[in-house]
Amino acid sequence: MKKTLKYFLIALLVVAIVATGFVIYVYNKPHRNVANEKAVTLTAEQLYQAFKDNEQHANQLYLDKAIELTGRIAQITTNQQGQTVIDFNTADSLVTINCTFKEAPQNIKVGDSIHFKGICTGYIPDMNVVMNNGILVK
Amino acid sequence: MATKFMLFFLCFALSIVTVKAQKAYVTRNGQISFVATNDDDVSAVNNEVASRITTNGDITFSLLIKSFFFQYAEMQDHFNSDYLQSNTYPRSDFKGKITNIQNINFSKNGVYPATVQGNLTLHGVTKPITVNGTIEVQGTKIIAKAKFTLQLSDFNIHADRVAKKVAIQFNCTYQ
Repeated sequence: MKKTLKYFLIALLVVAIVATGFVIYVYNKPHRNVANEKAVTLTAEQLYQAFKDNEQHANQLYLDKAIELTGRIAQITTNQQGQTVIDFNTADSLVTINCTFKEAPQNIKVGDSIHFKGICTGYIPDMNVVMNNGILVK
Repeated sequence: MATKFMLFFLCFALSIVTVKAQKAYVTRNGQISFVATNDDDVSAVNNEVASRITTNGDITFSLLIKSFFFQYAEMQDHFNSDYLQSNTYPRSDFKGKITNIQNINFSKNGVYPATVQGNLTLHGVTKPITVNGTIEVQGTKIIAKAKFTLQLSDFNIHADRVAKKVAIQFNCTYQ
């Protein structure tokens, strides 16, 4: 009888530890950090063309992937949460690649050629391809 | 004959002016956030909403599901893979009309109540919705705001364990 109780208590303890561990994991799992991810390298133009030619195929290739984009900054703005956003132009004057930085980058200006590494979240026809969570690589 | 021609020309000129007078306000970085009505922890914000409002009352917006940012990364993963299937349905689109556009004066600063009717496509399901909000005119920019609730099952989203309804907050600043 005593032995059964002992095993029961140990089992209970194990369950409690696992459950606590799970909750801690769920609430503390870090967000993705593109700095540590291997990225596909593309020009802003190539990324746009891929989506324009075949959105579904481009989604399979690039959605949720880390991409290092090269291009010339056409516009610098801030979004409604105060994060820095840059746009790269494409061959279509209406469509841009809209890139949001995770943290404000230092020393960038319109016209600069940069490498932006971020996550591609998809394409909005006639508007833009969206990238976020970005960092300035060089 | 000359008068007729003049009249025709005048009508033509006027129609050009009318077309020109229809202005479009645009944003690529509008904001839409949501919170589960039963659990404040389940909330996310999207700062990459693309939207257009024209002075003749057309309103559209599009957003990418993967652009929703949750405080908890684990929740964000479940949202995308289990509930919204964002690889299959990466985008949500809305197309509608401001039904009381005649009451909104885009050339006079102020906050105007606005009613919008249109079709929302989410998770591959298209449903008509009606939303009440405001349009604030501030010089050359406008700010559109609205709050409304969506029943997830209407859009074939089965997240009963987490939430059945979400309160959506629309807040977009246009240039």
